[in-house]
Amino acid sequence: MFNYLIQGIFAGLIFSLLALGYTLVYGVLRLINFAHSEVLMTGGFAGYFYLHYTIGQHLVTGNVGETLFYIVTGVLISGVAGTIVAVAIERFAYRPLRRRNAPKLAYLISAIGASYFLLNLAGKEFGRYPTATSQPFDNHVVVTLWGGQITMYDFVILAASLVLLVTIDWIVSRTKMGRAIRAVAQDVETASLMGVNVNRTIASTFALGGFMGGVAGFFVAINQGVAYDMGFKPALFAFTAAVLGGIGNVRGAMIGGVVLGIVMFTPIYWLGQPWLEEIIAFSVLVLILLFRPTGLLGERLGRTA
Amino acid sequence: MSDQLTRIKRMVATLNAADVRRICTALAGGLVLALMTGPDGSITSPLYGAQQSFLTAHVIGYLIFGAVLAFLMTFRAKTKDGTWRRVRTEPRKTFVQTLAASRNVMRKTALSLTALVSIGVALIFADISGPPAPHKISWHEIFHQFLFTRTYGYLLLVLALWFAIANQLFQLSDKRLTSLPRPVLIVGGLVVTLFLALCADPFLPARFSLDAISPASKHSMFHHWTTYFWLVLGVAIILPWVFKRRPTITRRPPRPMATLRSSPSMRFLTYVIAGFVVLEAPKYLSQYWQITLYQQIGVFCLLAIGLNIVVGFAGLLDLGYVAFYAIGAYTTAYFSGSLPVQPPFHLNPFLTIPCAIIVAMMAGVLLGLPTLRLRGDYLAIVTLGFGEIIYVLANDWVRLTGGSIGTGLVANFSIHFLGINYVWNEANPLSYYYLLIAILLPAIFLFDFLNHSRVGRSWAAIREDEVAAASLGINALKYKVMAFAMGASTAGAAGVFTAVKVGTLFPNSFVLQLSITILVLVIFGGMGSIVGVLCGAIILQWLPSYLNFHAYLGFQQSDLYLYIGALLVVMMIFRPQGMIPSRRRMREFHDAEEGLGSADPLGSINQESPS
Repeated sequence: MFNYLIQGIFAGLIFSLLALGYTLVYGVLRLINFAHSEVLMTGGFAGYFYLHYTIGQHLVTGNVGETLFYIVTGVLISGVAGTIVAVAIERFAYRPLRRRNAPKLAYLISAIGASYFLLNLAGKEFGRYPTATSQPFDNHVVVTLWGGQITMYDFVILAASLVLLVTIDWIVSRTKMGRAIRAVAQDVETASLMGVNVNRTIASTFALGGFMGGVAGFFVAINQGVAYDMGFKPALFAFTAAVLGGIGNVRGAMIGGVVLGIVMFTPIYWLGQPWLEEIIAFSVLVLILLFRPTGLLGERLGRTA
Repeated sequence: MSDQLTRIKRMVATLNAADVRRICTALAGGLVLALMTGPDGSITSPLYGAQQSFLTAHVIGYLIFGAVLAFLMTFRAKTKDGTWRRVRTEPRKTFVQTLAASRNVMRKTALSLTALVSIGVALIFADISGPPAPHKISWHEIFHQFLFTRTYGYLLLVLALWFAIANQLFQLSDKRLTSLPRPVLIVGGLVVTLFLALCADPFLPARFSLDAISPASKHSMFHHWTTYFWLVLGVAIILPWVFKRRPTITRRPPRPMATLRSSPSMRFLTYVIAGFVVLEAPKYLSQYWQITLYQQIGVFCLLAIGLNIVVGFAGLLDLGYVAFYAIGAYTTAYFSGSLPVQPPFHLNPFLTIPCAIIVAMMAGVLLGLPTLRLRGDYLAIVTLGFGEIIYVLANDWVRLTGGSIGTGLVANFSIHFLGINYVWNEANPLSYYYLLIAILLPAIFLFDFLNHSRVGRSWAAIREDEVAAASLGINALKYKVMAFAMGASTAGAAGVFTAVKVGTLFPNSFVLQLSITILVLVIFGGMGSIVGVLCGAIILQWLPSYLNFHAYLGFQQSDLYLYIGALLVVMMIFRPQGMIPSRRRMREFHDAEEGLGSADPLGSINQESPS
């Protein structure tokens, strides 16, 4: 059982990273960024190509400095790739609509279109078969706790995501950029009257979310390999996590991810059928929306994030 | 020459930043298109596709395309605001208007010429649709057609069309057909319908003979179901038309083309011609296209008009629509005993149609009742999740559904009734097609009727402003659940047709991509407009089957969803209302852009959503 719990926690950390993208964009624009799954996919492919052309076939073992270097640079490269794609999505699929004050349905459909376009472009250019990624470290079991095995990979995720989550919390609540994001989330018109550049703030929101999404993609890539449709399911779960934590709420997204991971994976120990995890996740989504639509920590639309 | 040059220079000098951006967008669009149609790359050579697309001659055509697009867009913008050309003060008369205003010789020539051309067209149609023996179209052959019944059908159709157009444009007679006494209209309409039934009957000997119209004869048209189909269709069209309330208010001054579009005789003709095309044309297609027509086009038309109720009429975004389709299909499989779980009794697929409709409808209500209270975008994600759940169940609940290896063979449609024994089979795809049409046509009329009834008006009110609608006493949840359930039941019916034709069901036929595809059909055609949605479904479903054969300009079937994604974004930016939009939807989109109302219950972006 502890094994499933650990699996849930670390899958949940990835959902948290991804959920941040949803929750930030939802807070500012009040819409689900359906194309966010492709940010994860791009980050994954960026990480794949980086590791493929640097490490290639040889196995990195034992050398802590080397491993650390690959992980840090890989995270940065994937994050930057995710940022670029997220900002491009905002620029080409959302901004033309925003200029025209289009109805919300148009945004959703445009986002679905962008997602499909990117997904299939990746499929066309990189082939439609899943591929394993070169490993920057030896993924062995480090600690065994009550029968639950914690691997090297889990430690890497834990460290990286903790750093990132703390950073983003700091950015949103302490920096000037974060203040601008919160101002736009609260009231677009007043914020622009107060001298906030709305377009740039929205772009920076997408950029922040995109960076996290790209990093999540990197971790999915080293664990499960890359495929052109790798973003779809994690993105669905991440959205569920964002709703679970309270959409628009940055800390809610972090906690929601981990809680969802635990809720999804732990019951598999008793049920024994791994395919039930999706059904559990969506049932959780429906139940939250029915009984507590504001999520665990409450929606923070327009209030201090 | 130098004069021209200075003119062009002056035109170029008027370009501003917005124009430069427009030109860059168009050129970039050309480049993206070049990439989209280029060769595929692979994981080992990820840059191969881009290299072959951009660094070979392939790119030139698409750059030219981008340049032409840039020129057209700039030209339009520049002439619209009057920079490049003086703005016209009075509207230019079209050719048709000049012709209609002219008298005597011009008029008579135009009339007789168009009439002759119409007769020629009718004859050529009759010739093309004649016996399938390959022969050239020669004058002799064409006049030979006068021996056949169907020629007269085409003549009637084309001449009536000609008369309707000419009458509107040239005011041949000021009497309106509807001002005739009602009994005359009804009897006349029935006679015309019977005549068309006679001409369209596929089973009769083609040669004209009196045998066909005497009920006693063995070759009588009254022994064939197509006759009764035409009669029902005719009555369905004639009755509302005859009993239409006559307008009492004075009309606006006639605009020829606009009145032409809205005149009842034209509508009648459109119906008849559409009926002719739908029933007659498929017989002359090859087997491949007949199967495509049924499986790709017909079934998807049904799915699209079902989703149109949810997305177009009620304004709810349903991304898990394919789940109901799957439910319909698996229900059919269950009742024909091809699932691992045996049903208590086996049912003929004809009887599973109502069962599938009811089961899908129940699923729709069960999903809708809790979730339709949610905000629109939450609904989208919940339906998406529901679609995934159904897929996972179909794929992994092996003991119920057979899992990914598929179900057993589903029974075929068959009639064993009153001495008739007929089993539908693969060899004749058209038999399925006509059965589908028999469901599709009533569904189209029903949904159109609903849209113009109290229910449709409630949907429109909810779609435009849910709070205001609720304050007028409309039970929003009830109407939303109703739309959801109707959409679901339509998908359930479509599921039966697929299950029966395909024979073995695989979970992979019910993936999320299909939901998106159906959504694209609806959006491309025009949300809320049944004609638009049908056209969208026909065009977009025909295209992949066509691309299956011809990688025309590098477009290939495996990249279909790439094109669909790009199409969605481009449509949302440039024409969100779709190809043939409903007038009301178009106005809603326009109003929303002006900041009035929100065009859908999802709420406008800048509006504070209730939490």
